[in-house]
Amino acid sequence: MQRMPPQVLRLVLLTIAIVATYGVARALLTPATFGRYGHYRGAALEETASRTPLYAGAKACNECHDDVSGKATKGHKTISCESCHGPTRAHARDPDVATVKLTDNTCLRCHLSDPARPPRHKQIVTIEHYPGDRCIECHLPHQPNKSP
Amino acid sequence: MKNSCSRRSLLALLTGGIGWLATRPIAQAAKTAVKHVFASAKTPEGYDPTKHHWLMCIDVDRCIGCGTCAEACKAENGVPRGASYFRTWVERYIIKKPGSNAALRGDVVVDSPNGGQGGFPPSLVPRQDILKAFFVPKLCNLCEHSPCAQACPVGATFDTPDGVVLVDPTYCIGCGFCIQACPYGCRFMNPETHTAEKCTLCYHRITRGLKPACAEVCPTQARIFGDLKNPTENDPLQEFIKKNKVFTLKPHLGTEPRVLYANIDKEVR
Repeated sequence: MQRMPPQVLRLVLLTIAIVATYGVARALLTPATFGRYGHYRGAALEETASRTPLYAGAKACNECHDDVSGKATKGHKTISCESCHGPTRAHARDPDVATVKLTDNTCLRCHLSDPARPPRHKQIVTIEHYPGDRCIECHLPHQPNKSP
Repeated sequence: MKNSCSRRSLLALLTGGIGWLATRPIAQAAKTAVKHVFASAKTPEGYDPTKHHWLMCIDVDRCIGCGTCAEACKAENGVPRGASYFRTWVERYIIKKPGSNAALRGDVVVDSPNGGQGGFPPSLVPRQDILKAFFVPKLCNLCEHSPCAQACPVGATFDTPDGVVLVDPTYCIGCGFCIQACPYGCRFMNPETHTAEKCTLCYHRITRGLKPACAEVCPTQARIFGDLKNPTENDPLQEFIKKNKVFTLKPHLGTEPRVLYANIDKEVR
């Protein structure tokens, strides 16, 4: 057998060493879930999804308060509880934790007159519509067309 | 002449090679196990991203500009307080009457004070000067060809199989190229983590069967959310596309946004 020239042998060994180093480095540096769904770290999806929701959803409210939510009428019928009452997860876990306090501003953020609001939407100008009175003195929040 | 490649050295080389090949899978398995322990996230079980395709659509005619969505988004996702950090926000478009020239419409005034949070203050444009006005909720357009994903130099932004564009915060180096690349202004730099952030369609909620926070709290159902792969009976998303003429924002850019807008005016960008 003819002996391999030393310079060729050195090159072959060097090439093998480079390829092996690349293989080891790649195996160690590539995240375990890389390429599960595409050219990115698959675990990033699970990490993004691991946050805890703050808004519990209407189902959670209805477990205790179905008497209230079922009776809402007119324009307020389709509104989610958390639109006005705020995030309810903490309250759903421990009923002693109160939800946010509602003020006249809760009503006005939707019903203050604005040229950009659709004309069919009920709107008021505060200085013309019983100034100084609170909204709930005349309107039931869940049945807005009824008075208390 | 003595052969330099002796039997002994060849055997040693072969053993080494086989040893390396044999330990590789073991090392990888060990690495996966270690990663699993350190990065164990409480993810909803049984969720398969390949079996869903989420989409949000906007009915501009229904939006009343209460800004509840922008507020809920900030609370739900822990978005930093401050008037320049938004994952979703509401814009007020006011189109003025034309002046003396023979134009169809006058100047366009767009404002979004604090992203619309807490409702809009009365506009400075007097009513008699307004031709028409409307609110437009904005969010990530979930582009088919996302400029942000293309601009990212480290591959931290990607398209998930369920139709969401997400950022991997452990990969993001905070260079801000994606923020410049997004033609819709939907991204920002988180001042605390120094990584890019954007709407995730409330990924932690939709994987648990809940609606995104903005769609959940919208009092007028201006935000329509659904799953294209699993349409329900009278699916709101399918009904919305059937009943409305829908449009995307900046279609000329070729980003192929998936978010559809109904009843939108040509002034909206």
